[in-house]
Amino acid sequence: MKKYVTKRVLTSIFTLLVILLVLFILMQLMPGSPFNDEKLNDAQRAALYAKYGLDQPVVVQFFRYVKNMLTGDFGVSYNISKNTPISQLIATRLPISIRIGGAAVSLGAVVGLILGLIAALRHDTWVDTLCTVISVIGVSVPSYVFALLLSYQLGFNMKLFPMLFDAKRAMASSALPSISLSMFTMASIARFTRSEMMEVLDSDYMLLAESKGISGFALIFRHALRNALIPIITVLAPLIVDLMTGSLVVEKIFAIPGVGSLLVNAIQSNDYNVVISLAFIYSAMYIGIMLVVDILYGIIDPRIRLAKDGK
Amino acid sequence: MKKTRALVATVTAGAMVLSMAACGSSAYQETTAAAATEAAGTAAAGETAAAAEATGTVSSSDLKVMLETPVMSLDPQQATDGTSFEVMANYTDGLTQMDDSGAAVAAVAESWETSDDGLTWTFHLRKDAKWSNGTPVTAKDFVFGWQRAVDPDVASEYAYMLSDIGQVKNAAEIIDGTKDKSELGVTAVDDNTLQVELNAPVSYFLSLMYFPTFYPVNEEFFNTCPDTYGTSPETTLSNGAFVLDSYEPAATEIHLTKNADYYDADKIKLAGIDYQVIQDSQQALLSYQSGDLDLTLLNGDQVDQVQDDPAFKAVGAGYLWYVTPNISAVPELANDNIRKALTFAIDRTAICEDVLKDGSKPTYTAVPMDFAAGPDGSDFSADQSKFQDVCADDTAKAAEYWQKGLDELGITSLTLDMVVDADDAPQKVATVLQEQWQTALPGLTITLTVEPKKQRVQDLQDGNYQLGLTRWGPDYADPMTYLGMWTTGCSNNYGLWSSTDYDDIIAKCTTGELATDPEGRWSAMYDAEKIVMDQSVIFPLYTQCNAEMLSTNVTGVEFHPVALNRVYKNAVKTEG
Repeated sequence: MKKYVTKRVLTSIFTLLVILLVLFILMQLMPGSPFNDEKLNDAQRAALYAKYGLDQPVVVQFFRYVKNMLTGDFGVSYNISKNTPISQLIATRLPISIRIGGAAVSLGAVVGLILGLIAALRHDTWVDTLCTVISVIGVSVPSYVFALLLSYQLGFNMKLFPMLFDAKRAMASSALPSISLSMFTMASIARFTRSEMMEVLDSDYMLLAESKGISGFALIFRHALRNALIPIITVLAPLIVDLMTGSLVVEKIFAIPGVGSLLVNAIQSNDYNVVISLAFIYSAMYIGIMLVVDILYGIIDPRIRLAKDGK
Repeated sequence: MKKTRALVATVTAGAMVLSMAACGSSAYQETTAAAATEAAGTAAAGETAAAAEATGTVSSSDLKVMLETPVMSLDPQQATDGTSFEVMANYTDGLTQMDDSGAAVAAVAESWETSDDGLTWTFHLRKDAKWSNGTPVTAKDFVFGWQRAVDPDVASEYAYMLSDIGQVKNAAEIIDGTKDKSELGVTAVDDNTLQVELNAPVSYFLSLMYFPTFYPVNEEFFNTCPDTYGTSPETTLSNGAFVLDSYEPAATEIHLTKNADYYDADKIKLAGIDYQVIQDSQQALLSYQSGDLDLTLLNGDQVDQVQDDPAFKAVGAGYLWYVTPNISAVPELANDNIRKALTFAIDRTAICEDVLKDGSKPTYTAVPMDFAAGPDGSDFSADQSKFQDVCADDTAKAAEYWQKGLDELGITSLTLDMVVDADDAPQKVATVLQEQWQTALPGLTITLTVEPKKQRVQDLQDGNYQLGLTRWGPDYADPMTYLGMWTTGCSNNYGLWSSTDYDDIIAKCTTGELATDPEGRWSAMYDAEKIVMDQSVIFPLYTQCNAEMLSTNVTGVEFHPVALNRVYKNAVKTEG
């Protein structure tokens, strides 16, 4: 297990370095400069490039960046928030995205599991049909449509929740964005739970367990759900990263100061350091979560771990 | 052990996520605490205001304003965008400030005089201007701020406001590193006297003094936070009508409270200003309608909904939108008749009234309307028909020129490509232009290349285009902010058009004999504009307006197309 984890961690670090290099090369290909393209003449632009070291070869910039990054220095923003350290920008915004995304994933996962379980246990009844309809709507309607509907109905008409994010009322103003974002997760989890549970419930070992006299709660949760969880976690993992790194449109609708809007503003204005840092953090989170998931497989299903140890 | 594992397994999906969500709570502390100091400034003083008496009691609540984009920088020598300028101007006074009409009036400087040759300006500073930490605002603060603006280490993007535009002595040499910043032509004669030396007389110099690049910075305070200056209320000093009390970099919520120590505090009627960045225009309008905002920007599609609302306003934004033909690289566009045909074939009124709908005005001059007033106070471009023999909406004339042009070139059809920003309004305008041109000019095919703005700007600068739809915003209230663009070698003269007559006039007006003769300069600038229009160097389209909703219980907000887009010093919000 240890050897496996070490190997996975090393591969992850290497992957991240490759990602960083690719990002650097992509930045070079972006047209325009991070500075005021129209109003500056060539000499002024050159002076600004020199100030930030952008006049040096990509390789030099790359190694300098990696070196600084190891000390926690992600550089400064060139224009969306001039000369502000990226670490500071991200430190204030990432927690907000993680919080809203985290609440959305939790809500989606829990409600999705419950809906899926009910649908599987009551399959081919009206309850199942209802759960399926909810799932189909959740998967097919984009989150910003829910966001607009909820904001108009619960925010504008009924005034139950703030329409815009308000740091003073962080809990209340996170509710609508979290619910809108959770719909897709909820629906996907519900569909997977239902199909996995149906398969597990039909299996021979369930028949055996049932005939051994195990029943009710223990049967469903210890024997059935546990076996159904593996594919569900596989589906959930990328959704977690997706939601936590901020949703552009939902952040825009609710005026949430999260990382999604930061990334888009940065790309539009060629703010290289912000783009690289955010894309890097996104990749790191993705790889990190995948690593955690792989290790979790081993905990949930010892057979997987055994197979890996045997290699 | 087995049980533990089972438990881990069952709650994994949720718990993993919950624990991550929990670490997000600390970031809110700062903004929450900072925004709480709201009602410090009372509205008691406001009862004398004429506007308030007319409409009701002065409100003790803040003016709630929507911003389209976050602040990019609150360092006056680093900021370049309208949002940052607007926020800084609330808590900073320069030597002068803008009055309702955009003219420069006294602020920190209570009086000034200029030498006969126009090369030396002496400003006398008021003695009761104070920074919010209690220290007086002195001439040294301006010297320090201006030196920062040209310091190559600071690398201010607006350094050219001091060199090319302000003509401050030695500014250009300091920017390119050949002189030390201490040699800048600005001196603190004593605490209350500031002397400025110029290379050439600058007729609009006073109106530069309210531009944020020329704002004062207190050196002693700056040195306490050189790396974090302007990134929080603690690292910001106010000498203006309001005090910044809630802000962090790239914040979506910004709050200012009335400055009780301001020298003009009696005249300030607002308790505070509460900014909210909202990038979704539909949400912004809904927030306005539910009373969460007093002032918001609309997009053109929303104008129909609110056209008859008394709160609706179309406010001049200063930008001139125009098409630039690549005269030097496209032989067909070097033909004068083809260019005339293209400019006559445009229906500018239809573009403004049917497409944009935000109050934008059809424009037939190279310098747009409503931003530059001459020595006699009249608008440089008030007369929009002065070039009607070379620029108008006239498809019949267009067809004539077109046929002549085709005959001269010996062709029967022509395909031209136009580069356009990938934003909503430019794309709509481009599609309509395409249709208007193709309908009016037989044999013409227009293709559109839609690109992100950064790419479009680079393509124009590289000369890699045929027709380009672009815009220009004025940097200062003088026609030269536009006319300077079409000189030979200017990086914004995208089509590389060149005329020695034109260059001569511009040189005379900026550094030559006309610089000290306001009337002569003004009429020479008309001559220069005529050359640009006669030769159809650009096809002007419209002067952009912003559609805004301003709550009817708010008066006195001043809108300007140059420098500071919205000024709140004279704003009054009443109850109800």
